[in-house]
Amino acid sequence: MNKKRKVFSYILMILITFLCVFPFLWMLMLSFKSNADIVASPLSLPKGLDFSNYKNALRTLNFPRMYGNTILVCVISILIELTITFLSSFVISRMEFRSQKLRSLIYGYLILGLSISPFILLFPVYRINVFFDLRGKWGLVMPYVASSISFNTLLLTGYLKALPDEIDEAAVMDGASIWDLIVKVTLPMAKSVVATIVIFNVLYIWNEFPYASVMLRDASDYTLSMGASFFKGTYTVDYGGIIAMSVLIIIPELIFYGLFQKNIVEGMTAGAVKG
Amino acid sequence: MHWLSKKRYKIGLTIPTILVYSVYIILPILIAVRYSFSKYSGLGKPKFVGWKNYIRLFHDPLFWSSFKNTMIMFILAFALLMVLAFLVALLLNQRLVGVDFCKALIYSPAIIAPIIVGIIWVYILDPNIGFLNGLLDRIGLSALKQKWIGGNTLTPYSIAVIYFWQQLGYLVTIFIAGLKMIPGEILEAADIDGARPAQKVMYVVIPMMKTTISNVAVLIITGVFKIFEIVLQTTGGGPNHVSDSLVTYSYSMTFSSSDYGYGMSLATITFIVSLLITGIYMAIFRDKEKKE
Repeated sequence: MNKKRKVFSYILMILITFLCVFPFLWMLMLSFKSNADIVASPLSLPKGLDFSNYKNALRTLNFPRMYGNTILVCVISILIELTITFLSSFVISRMEFRSQKLRSLIYGYLILGLSISPFILLFPVYRINVFFDLRGKWGLVMPYVASSISFNTLLLTGYLKALPDEIDEAAVMDGASIWDLIVKVTLPMAKSVVATIVIFNVLYIWNEFPYASVMLRDASDYTLSMGASFFKGTYTVDYGGIIAMSVLIIIPELIFYGLFQKNIVEGMTAGAVKG
Repeated sequence: MHWLSKKRYKIGLTIPTILVYSVYIILPILIAVRYSFSKYSGLGKPKFVGWKNYIRLFHDPLFWSSFKNTMIMFILAFALLMVLAFLVALLLNQRLVGVDFCKALIYSPAIIAPIIVGIIWVYILDPNIGFLNGLLDRIGLSALKQKWIGGNTLTPYSIAVIYFWQQLGYLVTIFIAGLKMIPGEILEAADIDGARPAQKVMYVVIPMMKTTISNVAVLIITGVFKIFEIVLQTTGGGPNHVSDSLVTYSYSMTFSSSDYGYGMSLATITFIVSLLITGIYMAIFRDKEKKE
């Protein structure tokens, strides 16, 4: 009886996993088929390892540029958001407040963003960017920084609150200034949560499309997801090229996921389980 | 610590976050609501028109069809994810060889760009070049071939299925985290009392997972109202807006038709609908919890 159940569990597990992975395998298979074959006989297997779709994709899209833009926006946004949210979370979780109400008010205000959908913000944010003369890829930085604030605050305050008070007191006794305390004492202790935040936000910015589609006009500013959405904008649809491009965008993401799986899953579930 | 908790430090260190957040998250909502009461095409100044946009919206058949599509997506995705993610979590919470590897694979659709998710599924659901219709042809079931995407009716159902694929692993992980929090003694006690597995799940596991289930429900509700790229890639809301969701319809009114005032009234309503559904769910759930 028990053994039967175990066998059944294994079969089910493998079947479900296969169904979930199948779309990836399918796209990988298609990427080696010619455009004509994809259209004429969708189910046929590729005739061999033909890389011409990849060549087409690399010719049509400026991948180095797209990767460059994405990485640039990513690095700048994350540096800013990490600096400002670490400081504010330090205040919220570690400093003394005469009124506890004020503390929870600031916290509550900053957490509110978790339930705000970006779609109501797109056009107003565009207007605000125009007002500050932030255009093209530079217009993405502030929206990305702002979008991360609620999540970062949730994670950072939760983590910093749990650190023992004695550490701060000892540092202050030794004559540490506020900067020493934050940068030399608290930050090194928060390494793991900072890593989760960085990895989570890299993924968010890498995948982000709605803001990119509103802010980016020039092809020279395109980030990866934006470039991906524009591939089919020609007269005849290059099915082979599109699928090869998708593989080229996914592979680095899957490698990234393989390397930092623990942090990614932790980051994605943290908001859900706590909030 | 007391010595360093000076007012000027506290203000100085929180002000950048509060400023960015207020200007880029809170202020835009107010701006959106203000635009929703005006007519604006991008030239000149917005003209205040009162409730006109909202009256137009209630008489707009495309608004109602995108509302209906969103509800179809919501109900189907909710049912599929709630039930199946929970069952898969029960399955993968057992001690099986290779279970972590399978979990990682099932999770992977959640981390790739949604825009690519849309692209991948075009190659599966497209009526002409897609895998599904090709398969039906091959196994002699051509009669079952459908316009899974791009036709007049099935698109929102297909979007829900794509969304299910994208979110399954993520929600399974959350359910497993909830399952792990159930104390082992309670499950053992149920075993000793001779509970069958199904009974154990119904009367022990589910009642103990209330918080997790509620969190998952809220995640699905807010998630469905963020589905955007998938619709954009599969049909672009077409033909003639029949497959638009609330989000894509408001996006296309705003950015394709440059009818900014009307677009913002759609965005505002969409936002309110998603908050309402979350609110109703929470109200029912909290109520139940109190009674027990």
